[in-house]
Amino acid sequence: MSMFFTNLVNGLAMGMVYFLTAAGMSIVMGVMGISNLAHGALYMVSAYVGWQVFKGFHGPFTLAVILGGLTGGLLGLLIERIFLRRLYKQPNEQVLLTYGFVYILTNLCLWIWQGWARMPFTAAALKPITIGGLRFASSRLLLIALGALFAVALWYLQDRTRLGARVRAGMDDKEMAQGMGVNMEMVSMLVFFIAAFVAGLSGVLGAQVMGINTEAGSTILVQALVVVIVGGVGSIQGALLGGLLIGLIDTFGKVLFPQLAMFTIYLAMVLILVVRPRGLLGRRG
Amino acid sequence: MTSAGTTGSHKAPWIWRALPLVLAAAVLVAMPGLLPTFMQRMMSKFLIFAIFSISYNVVAGYTGLISLGQAAYFGVGGYAAAVLMVRYGIDSLWVTALAGVTLGTIAAAAVGPIVLRVSGMYFLILTFAIGRLGYSLTWNLPFFNVPEGIQGIAGLPRPNPGIPGFQWTELSFYFFVLLVFALAMFLQYRLSRSPFGHSLQGIREGEMRMEALGYNVWLHKYLAFVIGGAFAALAGVLYVFMNRFIEPADLDIMRSFYPMAMVIIGGTATLWGPVVGAAAIVFVEYFSSILVPQRWPLILGSLFILAIMFARKGLAVYASDFWSKAGAKLWKR
Repeated sequence: MSMFFTNLVNGLAMGMVYFLTAAGMSIVMGVMGISNLAHGALYMVSAYVGWQVFKGFHGPFTLAVILGGLTGGLLGLLIERIFLRRLYKQPNEQVLLTYGFVYILTNLCLWIWQGWARMPFTAAALKPITIGGLRFASSRLLLIALGALFAVALWYLQDRTRLGARVRAGMDDKEMAQGMGVNMEMVSMLVFFIAAFVAGLSGVLGAQVMGINTEAGSTILVQALVVVIVGGVGSIQGALLGGLLIGLIDTFGKVLFPQLAMFTIYLAMVLILVVRPRGLLGRRG
Repeated sequence: MTSAGTTGSHKAPWIWRALPLVLAAAVLVAMPGLLPTFMQRMMSKFLIFAIFSISYNVVAGYTGLISLGQAAYFGVGGYAAAVLMVRYGIDSLWVTALAGVTLGTIAAAAVGPIVLRVSGMYFLILTFAIGRLGYSLTWNLPFFNVPEGIQGIAGLPRPNPGIPGFQWTELSFYFFVLLVFALAMFLQYRLSRSPFGHSLQGIREGEMRMEALGYNVWLHKYLAFVIGGAFAALAGVLYVFMNRFIEPADLDIMRSFYPMAMVIIGGTATLWGPVVGAAAIVFVEYFSSILVPQRWPLILGSLFILAIMFARKGLAVYASDFWSKAGAKLWKR
């Protein structure tokens, strides 16, 4: 039974990292119609920046998280303002351009931080927490709590604020929203920044569970795409549901069927797709 | 032509317009014999990726279905040939190639109805998902991993063409690939100029309009997807013949980017775009990985971005525009 709870906590913590990364990707896809394959690379760069602040400069962890988030956000904003803005409604070109950034950012990380893998770097500072006689890594519990907090914040932002209303209007009919006087250019910029910022945060936080290496960007990109597929494009709730589902299936799949380690989440994904081709909570598209 | 002077349009004579084709053919036939063997191998690789790019050009270029999973059929073709060789001891070139292309085509035919339920961004991520499924299958199942302990199939023999006393060299293999490439180009040419090909381009430009005109849009897309799968599987088989190794990554998203990048850089929905793009990427990747072994991804990534920002029409289009303008100027006088 203790095995079950340990894996439950592990799966939920992983799921929260997937959710935080996928949420921004999903909203950017839904609102702007942009497939940003550099999203995972932003996650990785921010994770390294967080490591640099915390381990390299011995800064506080909060600062590492914030600076990591800002790095992701500003880098994302730069890519959107200089490049992606000119490629509206050209999916083929968007995919290739952002993939070019994956090549570049991955190689730059390798250049600056070398190839050796970083372990979760706050582990030493955090003591395990005992609940009902079971010990849990406090980083994972903290991650679950933070993920839940962000889920509420993002949901509030999308469903209860003026910006969120504009975002939803843009998803339904961009031209009409513009016609009604919504500055979609501004909305797009903000959405892209927030998405990249959250990806950056999740990079620093995710590194506390998964560590960092130069493959991290591609790995998380693939997982985020899977989460977006399962949850549905353009939905925060979908990303949360999909992220937790994939995190749990992945963790329990590895425990129960180790010989099918990679296969379980993709099998689950395809089964969900056959039943619901637009994902569990996808909007019409 | 003859009436060029009177109509006011200055079209160069057909010799001028045929010259690039003749030159390209001459280079492809004559040059590899003069190159060292490692460059002959690179030439084979370039043509194999050109065939792979034709696959993407049919699906995404002409039909407008942006697929992130074209490598799935490349991989099925390659794995089929490799499995026949190591698991069943069949090394006949004709049997393995036929089996590879057939299975790749069947795979595309089976996946088509699933992915074509949706369009646009969902199509993009769904094709990615299918490729990922293939990746995880080949990664996990021991049947696809030979020898035990590695991910992939290694130590493959050269395919046996059934000619007594025949020995492969890099050069003879290159000419075999060139022959297949010429066939693939011919098929792409016929396809793009056929009524079917024109309908595909019509669907890309306006699906609703084609629907209203009474075309069976779904069937057209489906056939384009299956034909694309066949081309990809053909490239996959040749790739296994050349590389004598195949791994799960050959079915995955990273592999799918190659034809995508090649088609966009060369020129989307053009006959020669896939070829020019394949040459650009294969050789830039090769030479930059020799000159700056640590930093070649920077160069390749920058190439993608520069091509998208400044040469969006594709290198083949610019080259052909330049050539016809130069011809028009020459024959103006």
